[in-house]
Amino acid sequence: MNFLLQLRNELWKLFGKKRTYIGFAMFLLTQNIVSIVFRFTRASRFIERLLEGNGYLVEPYISTLTLATVMLFPIAGFLLPLYVSLVGGDLVAKEAEDGTLRMILARPVSRSRLIFLKWLAGAIFSILLVVTLGVFGLVFARLWFHWGGLFVWIPDQNIFSIFESAEGLKAYGIAHLMLVTQAVSIMSAAFMFGCFNVKPAVATILALSFVFVNFILQNIPYFRDFQNWFFTYHLNLWQFMFVQPIPWWRVGASMSVLFGFNLTFLVIGLTAFQVRDIKS
Amino acid sequence: MIELEKLTKRFGQRLAVDELSMTIRPGEIYGLLGHNGAGKSTTIGMILGQVWPTSGSAKVCGHEVSAHRRQALQQVGAIFESPQFYDYLSGWRNLEILATYTARTPASRIREVIDWVGLTGREQSIVKTYSHGMRARLALAQALLPNPQLLILDEPSDGLDPEGIHEMRQTVRRLHKELGLTILFSSHLLNEVEQLCTRIAVLSQGRKVFEGTVTDARSTQTWVRLRTDNFLRAAQLLFDAKLIVEHRDGKLIRLAPDSGTAAIARKLVESGFEVHEIFTEEQTLEDFYLSLMKAHPGSVRSP
Repeated sequence: MNFLLQLRNELWKLFGKKRTYIGFAMFLLTQNIVSIVFRFTRASRFIERLLEGNGYLVEPYISTLTLATVMLFPIAGFLLPLYVSLVGGDLVAKEAEDGTLRMILARPVSRSRLIFLKWLAGAIFSILLVVTLGVFGLVFARLWFHWGGLFVWIPDQNIFSIFESAEGLKAYGIAHLMLVTQAVSIMSAAFMFGCFNVKPAVATILALSFVFVNFILQNIPYFRDFQNWFFTYHLNLWQFMFVQPIPWWRVGASMSVLFGFNLTFLVIGLTAFQVRDIKS
Repeated sequence: MIELEKLTKRFGQRLAVDELSMTIRPGEIYGLLGHNGAGKSTTIGMILGQVWPTSGSAKVCGHEVSAHRRQALQQVGAIFESPQFYDYLSGWRNLEILATYTARTPASRIREVIDWVGLTGREQSIVKTYSHGMRARLALAQALLPNPQLLILDEPSDGLDPEGIHEMRQTVRRLHKELGLTILFSSHLLNEVEQLCTRIAVLSQGRKVFEGTVTDARSTQTWVRLRTDNFLRAAQLLFDAKLIVEHRDGKLIRLAPDSGTAAIARKLVESGFEVHEIFTEEQTLEDFYLSLMKAHPGSVRSP
């Protein structure tokens, strides 16, 4: 029971500060910009040509679901990693920097429990963030586009899929569930760095560097055969939710790897936090 | 209540605390004195399990802190210099958050400590709007929440104005008198320590260079003011007669262990000196502290 109270406290702390919401405005702005650009420019012409070229009607698929899915790319590729890194890096490092960590550790709470509570709060935040973005994406797209089918084209993954509205909504929902794995994993990396004796900004930068270095290495032709060793290779699980049928073996393998990464981040972070001295 | 046994902490090459041993008995107000960097906060950090000792042991309420931190800190409250809170949350919420790290705390207990520290009416305001004094009271409230037997105050008067320092001093006295708490009080403000503490330890470069009561400290090195027609000649005579061990400032002499002012006066009069004035100087804790620091080279900074 006390664990739940302590978790509630961590969530109060996390959701109580303005810093947590700073980046959120950027997400909403991005979603609206994508909607407006597609509505009022000829940006959708490319999608129309793809559909027509493959013998599909255009009208049913230039829709809320298609636009909401288009919004996912800049969000999953840039904003989400940046934002969850900021929050994950803050969880421990900001408290250490502010001096509140010393107040907490003057009490009979174990360091491992504290770390687990904070990581859990970060994970809950990541889940809520992704779910909220999914809902806002639909709402903003619906302001300008009709409800209809879903068209997804991801050339990197050889994905070209057409869904009717009900199936499309399901795929969109599951994609967001999988996007949670990306958000939590990047948050965990930043969280791990934050457990060392570093400033919050350093933890964020280190986590983002880790992601970018992985991404760059993964895309170097020399490493093509070793792609599945890289962290970022497993982060795009959400894209596979638009494949028909879903390659669950690939999803399962990547989820196992991500679970391993998260566990490693947590263990390293916990060890670093356990052995460090907490001083003013 | 607190037992330190050869407690040592090394940060790389720097020895922050060097084989510190001390015992704080229940009901004491124990002062930890020393200049900035003397090792006071590191010692408190080790007592609270925030800093890992390099060697030695710290026991709190009979429990080894390194091995049984939970049990050791169950009835301990602590306040640090410039206490930090979640400024964007209310005072009440801050207390709720900190309390749950010890145990489930009923709202009535939070209300009780808020009343005790005099924050009633402001507990729902966000901490950002609190004055320095109010933050100090909130810090005290959070320390009192677990109904502690032991209160650790690490430089609690730091940053407070004279009025705030006075209020803090009164509060510490009240805590000791009304709640019967054992208090470990770390400070570099000699006046505070002198007025509050029943026993003190002086740290210099991580080593304990004195432990005893304030009265002990004052009487450790008693100086006697002497005014004669020729101080230097008189002092030399007394030194040769082994009645004093040293003199300074052309007016002060320090008596040898078996000497006394009557013997000094007698010797001087018998030797033909005119004695205009002779009396024992009341040594302040500051005098004692400065002489102690002089005796331990390297501790040149004033408290």
